[in-house]
Amino acid sequence: MANRFRVTSLHITKIIKNVTIISVILLSFFLVLFSKTDYFLINSIKNISSGFINPITRIVAAPLNAMSNLVNQYDQFRNLKFENKILQEEIIRLKKWQTLAIQNSRENKVLKKLLNATNNNLKLVKTASLINRNDALFSKIININAGFQDNIKNNMSAINERGLVGKVIETTPNNSRILLLSDPNLSVSVKTISDGIFSIVTGAGDSKHLISTFIKDNKMPKIGDIVVTSGTAQIFPVDLLVGKISKIEKDRFYILPFVDFNSIDYVQIVISE
Amino acid sequence: MYLSRVFTPYVLFNIILFFSFSIAVNSYYHIQYINIIFYIFFHLTFVYFLFYHYHYSQFILGFIYGTLLDIFLINEIGSHLLTILFIILIYAQLKKLLLLLTSLQISITIFCLVNIILIIELLYALIFNGIYFNFNQIIYYFIISFFLFIPSLFLFNKIDN
Repeated sequence: MANRFRVTSLHITKIIKNVTIISVILLSFFLVLFSKTDYFLINSIKNISSGFINPITRIVAAPLNAMSNLVNQYDQFRNLKFENKILQEEIIRLKKWQTLAIQNSRENKVLKKLLNATNNNLKLVKTASLINRNDALFSKIININAGFQDNIKNNMSAINERGLVGKVIETTPNNSRILLLSDPNLSVSVKTISDGIFSIVTGAGDSKHLISTFIKDNKMPKIGDIVVTSGTAQIFPVDLLVGKISKIEKDRFYILPFVDFNSIDYVQIVISE
Repeated sequence: MYLSRVFTPYVLFNIILFFSFSIAVNSYYHIQYINIIFYIFFHLTFVYFLFYHYHYSQFILGFIYGTLLDIFLINEIGSHLLTILFIILIYAQLKKLLLLLTSLQISITIFCLVNIILIIELLYALIFNGIYFNFNQIIYYFIISFFLFIPSLFLFNKIDN
């Protein structure tokens, strides 16, 4: 009797084991398949991961975060004197620019009224701060502390004081994920300010530069030209600062973004007004 | 006595896995390479855990961690999930052969397997997700895993004992 019971329970364990293994493997293949086709299921899984697992990982990694802040503070303290000198010089330079900007802004308003031009100003949806970043390995993604409860939707643009940061790729009630401009999977349609040369750029893969993947009419810009969003793809608003042309090769060019992706603290989510 | 009964090697390895996973998915700009180190350490721990504490529940663990790593690091499911499950499946099939190896041979197998997993993940991400990598990245992975390997094995042995 006892032997028969042992044999039966061994059989049940083996069945449970086999069923678990087969279900996990099947589920994995379905997930991989659905990640390319079914956006609802995959988005739900991503939302659960971002909403529940992400906060837990942040708590677990809190000591390291504190250490990182400490290293940052030490670095800042060490460079205090040097930075102060640079900032003083920058204040003098900016004061000159401020006077010019005020004059230009007045002129601009008057000219717009005269031309009856439409306004292409940006509408601020939300200013949010960075929670954590996942940009060291694989994709260049950051997480911010505002989600669809703050009216943030997918494909909205993220900017900071220096220019375009990226676009929203996923939103949960209180958090959003932003794909940075430096990611090779994010394409942006841009134009140069001086010549109006239209092109499409993506991240170059080195986390520092953007590279052109298409140039309209094969016109090449000059080194130092400032590049802004063209707004033609209707994902990014027009005239957001992107970067400066830093290198030109035979049939492509490189852009050095204005945004320092390593020191993003706050971003603004904007849409065209 | 009570603690040693609660914190069995199985529980401790799971704690290590979750801790290294948490650090691997959070980037720290001011402490360079820290999440690459923990990313590799996570793989090392997983492979060691698989070799010395194999249980079919590791398919579920592999499924969870693989999916989460994919979502957090790539935003597309596939690379880590399939690689981890593939490695567990291969191990489950070959474990009888691996039992014949000496401890040194198993250690070398673990080291090689970790590097193979890392390269497969990079290749999968390149082919199916368009995430580029360069040769330097593979060299980094190799060097970091080389330096992490012996201290990690020492730690894992301590846990096992």
